[in-house]
Amino acid sequence: MLKVDNINVYYGQIHALKDVSLEVKKGEIVALIGANGAGKSTTLRTISGLLRSKTGSITLFDENVSHVEAYKLVAKGLAHVPEGRHVFLQMTVLENLEMGAYTNSANVKAGIEDVFERFPRLKHRKDQIAGTLSGGEQQMLAMGRALMSKPKLMMLDEPSMGLAPILVQQIFDIIKELHEAGTTILLVEQNAEMALHVADRAYVLESGRIKLSGSGAELAKSDEIKKAYLGG
Amino acid sequence: MTFISNLINGISLGSVYAIIALGYTMVYGIAKMLNFAHGDVIMVGAYISFCATTYLNLPPVVSVLLAMAVCTVLGVVIEGLAYKPLRKASSLAVLITAIGVSYFLQNVALLIWGSAPKTFSSIVPLDSIALFGGKLIITVESIVTVVACILIMILLTLFTKKTRMGKGMRAVSEDKDAAELMGINVNVSISVTFAIGSALAAIAGVLLCSAYPVLVPTTGSMPGIKAFTAAVFGGIGSIPGAMVGGILLGIIEIFSKSYISTALSDAIVFAVLIVVLLVKPTGILGKKIMEKV
Repeated sequence: MLKVDNINVYYGQIHALKDVSLEVKKGEIVALIGANGAGKSTTLRTISGLLRSKTGSITLFDENVSHVEAYKLVAKGLAHVPEGRHVFLQMTVLENLEMGAYTNSANVKAGIEDVFERFPRLKHRKDQIAGTLSGGEQQMLAMGRALMSKPKLMMLDEPSMGLAPILVQQIFDIIKELHEAGTTILLVEQNAEMALHVADRAYVLESGRIKLSGSGAELAKSDEIKKAYLGG
Repeated sequence: MTFISNLINGISLGSVYAIIALGYTMVYGIAKMLNFAHGDVIMVGAYISFCATTYLNLPPVVSVLLAMAVCTVLGVVIEGLAYKPLRKASSLAVLITAIGVSYFLQNVALLIWGSAPKTFSSIVPLDSIALFGGKLIITVESIVTVVACILIMILLTLFTKKTRMGKGMRAVSEDKDAAELMGINVNVSISVTFAIGSALAAIAGVLLCSAYPVLVPTTGSMPGIKAFTAAVFGGIGSIPGAMVGGILLGIIEIFSKSYISTALSDAIVFAVLIVVLLVKPTGILGKKIMEKV
């Protein structure tokens, strides 16, 4: 479904991604874990076309999209929930969801119903400006907005960041539900324990390089991972 | 009666500033740049309308539509050739380019139309309305200007609140990357904003020259700067802010002219701006939303 082959990304002089390759197969949850600044968000931003790689290629749904503009990938079935949520703070909850269906305007009504069913809290706040929502609600809105385009592959960047533990659990439950409903997921997380628990497979990114990869269960047992990311 | 007459003149002049300020504020909102060539698009619009009525004998309304069409194309071309290549450049580079485009337009106008002032004939050739036995005289231009301003405000608000493209433009102006991730073509949104702003500039040019009929290649620069002030005054990036800022600025200018001093009126206008920005740095209707972490 997604194949990233040997990409190198630079921010000016800084070499942010070094020969990164990874693959996500249809129906999988794949986690990308690593410390702050390891290049996790950069990887997602490059896949979605906001950043460009100097080398290699990105193949999405059997098509080379290395040079395709970001806005065209949405209609192909890619949704990216960015780090820090990036909901439109000055627009209402409903308007945010409409923006999610920008390329799929036939689906606005039904899509909004689906999102409200999944996130009932958003329904109560549908006419509120997104800037007035709590952090957890904003995360739900960001995920709901991404679902509006009916994505085949959903990339989630730190969905648990800054949320209370009970909300983190809720977000991960939703990720599992989405997966069961047939969405393929690429998940970036600092919360390695939770991420490895839900993931079929995982990659560990360190200083811009893929350090390890394997099944979620394997990596959760690995001593190296335990020491570096699981606190023991 | 002088007070009311001044007030009407102020609102009318302010409406012109407001229409120009909308162009500044929309472009700033979406492209985060100050398009200092915007004032000169006004001048081009006025010249086009002037030529259409004078040389082609077209009816005034057609001349306005023609001016709007030419300015729309001009705005999109300026954006595409001068600003788009600088999308990732520093804001200083973009600012200097905008000033360069401004001088370029003025000098092209000088080449085409010469430096001798043209006498612009009003697009509404109707007699002024005398009220209270001639004590209060209202020009038809001022009525048309205010009505045009209100209509534009209503249409723009509907466009940005109700249409898919308008909402998309609001999304782009708030967060370009997120908008792009929604599938919104950011470049198209920016072009459309320039097109709308430039069409409005053409209307403003025609209205301005109908009230103050001397047309030279630098006609647009002072109203351009004042309208920019109005946009900042009202809160740059905000559409209602541009409206409020423009009208207040027009009223302040006319009142200073008639009650204090004609020579000092511009100084007073800018002094008020400084005071407003000291008290409320985001402008009258400018807002700041706290970001949740």
